[in-house]
Amino acid sequence: MLIVESDGKALLRSCGIAVPEGTVVAAGETPTLSGADPWIVKAQVPVSGRGRAGGVIRCDSAAAVNATLKRMFDISIKGHLVHRCLVEHPATGTETYLSLMLDPANYGVRVTLIREGGVNVEESGLSEHNSRLCEPEHTAIVAALRELTAELALLDFGDKLARLFLDRELILAEINPLFVGANSCVAGDAKLVVDLNAAERQPEIARLIEAAPEIYPDAVRKLRDGFDYVEVDPKGEIGLLTTGAGLSMMLIDEMTARGGKPLNFCDIRTGLLRGDPTRLIKVLGWIGERDVKVLLVNIFAGITDLAEFAELLCVALERTPSLNAPVVARIVGNRVDEARAIFAAKRPDIAVEEQLTVALGRVDAILRGAAS
Amino acid sequence: MIGQLSRRTPVIVQGATGRAGIVHVRRMKEYGTNIVAGVSARGAGTTVEGVPVFADCRAAVGAIGAQVSLLMVTPNAVLASAEDAIAAGIKLIVTVAEGVPVQDAMRVGRIVRAAGAQWVGASTPGLAVPGEMKLGFLPNVSLRPGPLGMMSKSGTLSYETGYRLATMGLGQSIWVGVGGDLVKGLRFPDLLDTFLEDERTKGIVLVGEIGGSEEEDFADALMKAKTQKPVYALVAGRGAKEGVAMGHAGALVYGNVGTFASKKQRLEAAGARVFATIEDLIETCGRDHGGR
Repeated sequence: MLIVESDGKALLRSCGIAVPEGTVVAAGETPTLSGADPWIVKAQVPVSGRGRAGGVIRCDSAAAVNATLKRMFDISIKGHLVHRCLVEHPATGTETYLSLMLDPANYGVRVTLIREGGVNVEESGLSEHNSRLCEPEHTAIVAALRELTAELALLDFGDKLARLFLDRELILAEINPLFVGANSCVAGDAKLVVDLNAAERQPEIARLIEAAPEIYPDAVRKLRDGFDYVEVDPKGEIGLLTTGAGLSMMLIDEMTARGGKPLNFCDIRTGLLRGDPTRLIKVLGWIGERDVKVLLVNIFAGITDLAEFAELLCVALERTPSLNAPVVARIVGNRVDEARAIFAAKRPDIAVEEQLTVALGRVDAILRGAAS
Repeated sequence: MIGQLSRRTPVIVQGATGRAGIVHVRRMKEYGTNIVAGVSARGAGTTVEGVPVFADCRAAVGAIGAQVSLLMVTPNAVLASAEDAIAAGIKLIVTVAEGVPVQDAMRVGRIVRAAGAQWVGASTPGLAVPGEMKLGFLPNVSLRPGPLGMMSKSGTLSYETGYRLATMGLGQSIWVGVGGDLVKGLRFPDLLDTFLEDERTKGIVLVGEIGGSEEEDFADALMKAKTQKPVYALVAGRGAKEGVAMGHAGALVYGNVGTFASKKQRLEAAGARVFATIEDLIETCGRDHGGR
């Protein structure tokens, strides 16, 4: 996943890479600004194209910085609320683009250097002129960069970035703009994609993520609870308790296309419940904190015992009084008839369906009923 | 190798004595998979479901012989188990574990490539030749012999698709779950030739999702292949939040990388049909291939 710029820069600093002088400001705080203007106020959200989305503002006075911060903490950028801003002095030097990116098809690393910064690599295009594919090793990355430039400041920078990239098991390290001076380079931005599956052996990265649950709620949940739950729309009307990442994504897409507003993505992994309703109670609790009009349960049980799941769900619903929306349960597979009987006896109010299209129709009907 | 798999193909299961290993050795045997040996450092000398267990792959291959191995080991053990398998001469490994670190996957990929072997996974339910055998745990209710070659990133979305195809009397010739990780073994484009050369396969169902460039790379390969076999595709994750991995480690959009729009556009330009809903895909497959 993508970490925000200020965390990326913390990692860069840790390996001796220079970044502009700046200060991180949380919502409600007023920064103590040192040095002369101007400053740049940058929203810390994990997306590309923040500048075009209004997340990067140049300010010529301390008053302007404070006014900009106030505004920034009220907006959301590409679905991410702004919880943190970085206030920096602009750096000087020639604007350049440098990135190291894993190349999954070749099991290698792609090194890209473009001598004008502020560009999208997709727009500029990769060529023999600006990009090299190499082995995922430090010497190979440095050698690839040497084929692209002879500037010592850049080579020194690349040497450190390559070390960070490999040691921290990064998937992408993109510095754009990189300010190149005669003797040194300064990373104006930092877009780092980290590997959450390596979090256990990368405590420095795990700490950055755990220190900012407001910025990385989904990753913190994953590290803490071992399954996936992503809130896609806090104002969503349809809560999802589902298993499987792909099917959960597809459900969100299909419901959105039908005019529905899903609250969340969820891959609960029923195979790991092992007779304990705790995980279900957690998810129902998160959904219950929001104002949903219907809960859709979708379990395709290749292996999962649906009868056991039905028992657990009944317990979990009972222990989550905050969630009182009607429930549609689409269940198919292993021991579905027993599961039906359990729902009929314990929770006859739950609409149980075997066909997904029928279940989606039920959800639509409930939403229409709630609207009228 | 994948095109030749059948109920006669001998298979080794690494991690056979673990909780999941025992369950799935039994289920795979019931389905028809010819499991000849298990591998487990601690369980060596015992048997699982009548299958002898060896300390490592080299011992298993030496005693029984096999070129295919299924790795039912934890994510952090995948690299070492894959090294063991490849060193023993295994030519196809399938790793089901979810959560393999990317750097480990890079190493596995390079070892497998250097040995001229093939790797399916990680983060996959496995693969199957319906009616013949399966490696992993694709659910039987979704498996049915038929004319469609399936390749999928997501387990559950492909279960759903396979199940609905099976319900309408259609089935699969070969089904390969390539898995949801960014760095993996076989990717969608690597499977195209297998599916084009396979005479049982009359059409291809691609179950993709956002993130990475596999769908785009498949589209490029399809364009070059100039095949008559139709391609039906789903791409999940249109509504994904940028910067956040949606369950699968590989399902990550940042900037213009890995977006739904890019995948749909490239697949369609190559002649594939991309469907907005599972239902639309099923109906079209039914019309084209004689479902009931």
